[in-house]
Amino acid sequence: MIEIRWHSRAGQGAVTGAKGLGDVVSTTGKEVQAFALYGSAKRGAAMRAYNRIDDKQIINHEKFMLPDYVLVIDPALAFTDNITENDKEATKYIITTHLDKESLIKEIPALQERADRVFVVDCMQISLDTIGRAVPNAPMLGAFVKISGMFELDYFLESMKRVLSKFPQKIIDANMDAITRAYNEVK
Amino acid sequence: MAQKYDIKETEVWDGNYAASQALRQARVDVVAAYPITPSTPIVENYGNYVANGYVDGEFVMVESEHAAMSGCVGAAASGGRVATATSSQGFALMAEVLYQASGMRLPIVLTVVNRALASPLNVRGDHSDMYLGRDSGWIQIDAFNAEEAYDMTLCAFRIGEHLNVRLPVMVHQDGFITSHTAQNVHPLSDDDAYQFVGDYKGVDDMLDFSRPVTYGAQTEEDWHYEHKAKQHKALMDSRAVIDEIFEEYGKLTGRNYKRVESYMMEDAEVAIVALGTTVETCRVAAEELRAEGIKAGVVAPRCFRPFPFDNIREALKNVKAVACLDRSSPGGAMGALFNEVSAALYTTEARPLVTNFIYGLGGRDFSIKEAKRIFMEQKAHVDAGHITTPIQQFSGLRGPKLGFFETKRS
Amino acid sequence: MQERDLCAAENRGARELGAEKLVGWDEVQQGVVLNSFEGDATGIVLKKAEERLYSDFNSYTATVASWRVQKPVFNIDVCIDCQNCWVWCPDSSIISRDKQMLGIDYDHCKGCEVCVQVCPTNPKSLLMFAEHTELDAALSQWPEKTKKEEK
Ligand code: SF4
Ligand code: SF4
Repeated sequence: MIEIRWHSRAGQGAVTGAKGLGDVVSTTGKEVQAFALYGSAKRGAAMRAYNRIDDKQIINHEKFMLPDYVLVIDPALAFTDNITENDKEATKYIITTHLDKESLIKEIPALQERADRVFVVDCMQISLDTIGRAVPNAPMLGAFVKISGMFELDYFLESMKRVLSKFPQKIIDANMDAITRAYNEVK
Repeated sequence: MAQKYDIKETEVWDGNYAASQALRQARVDVVAAYPITPSTPIVENYGNYVANGYVDGEFVMVESEHAAMSGCVGAAASGGRVATATSSQGFALMAEVLYQASGMRLPIVLTVVNRALASPLNVRGDHSDMYLGRDSGWIQIDAFNAEEAYDMTLCAFRIGEHLNVRLPVMVHQDGFITSHTAQNVHPLSDDDAYQFVGDYKGVDDMLDFSRPVTYGAQTEEDWHYEHKAKQHKALMDSRAVIDEIFEEYGKLTGRNYKRVESYMMEDAEVAIVALGTTVETCRVAAEELRAEGIKAGVVAPRCFRPFPFDNIREALKNVKAVACLDRSSPGGAMGALFNEVSAALYTTEARPLVTNFIYGLGGRDFSIKEAKRIFMEQKAHVDAGHITTPIQQFSGLRGPKLGFFETKRS
Repeated sequence: MQERDLCAAENRGARELGAEKLVGWDEVQQGVVLNSFEGDATGIVLKKAEERLYSDFNSYTATVASWRVQKPVFNIDVCIDCQNCWVWCPDSSIISRDKQMLGIDYDHCKGCEVCVQVCPTNPKSLLMFAEHTELDAALSQWPEKTKKEEK
C-alpha cells in the first residue's frame, strides 16, 4: 500500500488533484482511495487530502496514515503546518516554493534531517504561467510522476487528458503544459 | 429519450457521485430537494443530469427539507418514481414527513449521507440522523463504501417498489468517509441498471383518473392501530424480498449482499458489531489479529430496518464476547445497536458477553488500532469469564475514562 | 506609515485557527458556550479593539494570515480617507481611527482584494502584491496616476 498526503488550502485543488491521480491509477488496474480532511471548510483554510493505492481492495477507512509521499501545494503551509507528522524513514516530500531547496530547508528545521528526501518545485509560478491562475494541483501531479516513478510521463499525460475531457481544449492543453513543466523542473 | 452516459467498467467515484448515478440510471421522475452538506452533490448531480438531458426527470427546488419530503410524498402519491437526499439537520426537519411517507406506503428512496446532529454544529459524519429515523417505518439499508452506495441505491428502488413491500427506503452512507472518498466502483451500464430496476409499477396513483383516490386520511382509534400493524407486518415481511433482490443483484454483478454481513465469523471467538465504514476498518483489524492467533470476526447489519433479529442471532451464535459499536450519542441509554443485538442474543442458548462502545461522534476518527484494542478487550472478558469493564464505554474520547454500569454478579 | 502596534500579532498573542488546546470531556464548557472576553466586559464597547481582553476563543485572537497568497499594501500618501475600503472589507481588516485609514490588519486579512477594487483614488491607495514582497519594496514600485484617454 502506498499512502500520499496532500497539504493544501481549500480552493487550491488538492481534492481534485487526489481524485485525478486516483483516476489515472485506477486505469493501471490498481485500487485507489482519495479523500480529504477539511479544516474550517472555507476557501483558504488549511486542509489535507489523501490517497491510498494498493493491489487489493482498500477497506481501511481510518483517516490516520503514515504517508510515503507528502505533497505540499501551498508555499506557506510548509512553514505553518506540521508536514512531517507521522512520517516514515523513507517518506518523500515534494514542496511548492519560490525558494531553492537549500534556502527552504534552512528555514524549516524539521526538514533538515530529511534533506535527501525533499524535492522542490514552484507549482504556484508554473500554474500562473501556464493555466493563468494559482491552481497548483496539476503541476504537483507532474512533480509526483517524476519523483515517484509510478508512471511514464506520456502515459500520465494521456490519462489526464481523458480525466479532463469535459473541459475546453485550451484548459486541457494548459494543464498538460503545467504537468510537463513541473515534471522537468522538480529538483 | 434521455441520452446515455458513457460509463467505464471501473470508475473512481465517491459515495455521493455513485448514489447520484444510481438515481439517474433508475430514471427517477422527480427529485424534490433542499440540499445540505455532505449530501449536496447527490441532488446537485441529479439536477445536472436533468439539465443536460441525461435523465427525463423533474428537479424541484423547495424551501426546506420538510417541503422536500412533502414534495416527494406528493410526487410519489401521484405515481412517479421519486428520490431525494439529505443529512443531519435536514433529516431532522424531514422527520415529520418521513412518517407520512411510510404510512401512505410510498416507495420513495432517500439517500441519507450520515452526519452528526447539532448542537454543537458539525458537518462530519456520525449515525445520529440514521438512528433518528429508526422508528419511522422506512426500510434502512447501510452502505459501507462508495460502490455499495451505488449498489444499495439501485436495490432500494426494487425493494421499496416491490408490490409486497411498498415502503420507502433509506440508503445510508457515512458522511465524508464514504460520501467524499473516491474509490474504485464497478457500475452497471445504463441499460443493465435500468433493466434490473425495471419500470415503475403504479399503485393507487392520484393521477389515475379512472380511479380517483384520497391520500392522508384521518383515522383516530378505530382505524389507526390496524393500519400501523399492517405497515409493521409489511416491514417485517420485506426481509424475504430484500434477500431475493440482493440475490438477483449478486447474479448480475458478482457482488453478494446479505441483510447481515459476516466476516471471518466461522470460528470467531470475539466479534464486533458495527455499521458503516467502521465495518470495513474492523475487518482490517480482525485480519491483523488473526495473524496473531486471535479469532476475531465482524458482523454488520446491512439492513438496519427491518432489524435482522433472526440473522444477527445466527451470525453470533457461536461467539463468546461481542462489542456493539454505536456511532450516535445514546441520550441516556445504552446504544441502539447494543440494545437490539443484546435482545436478539438473549434468546440464544449461548448468550455471549455483550458490551457497548460509543465512538466516532461528530466524525472522530476510528482507527484500526482502536478496533484491535476493542477486540482484545473482548478477549479479556472471555478469558475472565465475565465482563471486566463497564458495560458501556466511550472509545476515542479525550479526558478521563467514561463508562457506565457493571455486570451484576451476586 | 503602517501603525505597527495595531497590526502586530504579538500584541494579542495571535495564533493559527484550530490551534486551541484540546481539552477532555470533563473540561469543555457546558452547552458549547464560548466567552468573548476574559473577565468582566462591562463597558468594553467604549474600548478600542487593541485594548480589549479578548478570550482565546474569540476569532480576534486567531490569525488567518497564512491563508493569503497575495496581500493588499496601503499607500498613505495617496489615500483620501474616503473609508470605502473600511466599509467593504468582508473581514473587518481595515484599521481606521477617527475616520482616518491607518492600515491593514494582516492577521485577519485573507487577501481577497475587495478593498483594492473599491478604492477610488488614482493611482489606487491599495494594491495587491505577492505575500512575500516587503512593504518598502511594494511602495517603491507604486504606479503613477493614469492619464485620461483622449476621446
Ligand atoms: S484584501 Fe480583503 S480581507 Fe484584506 S483588507 Fe482588503 S478587503 Fe479586507
Ligand atoms: S478606499 Fe482607498 S482612498 Fe478610501 S480610505 Fe481606503 S485606501 Fe483610502
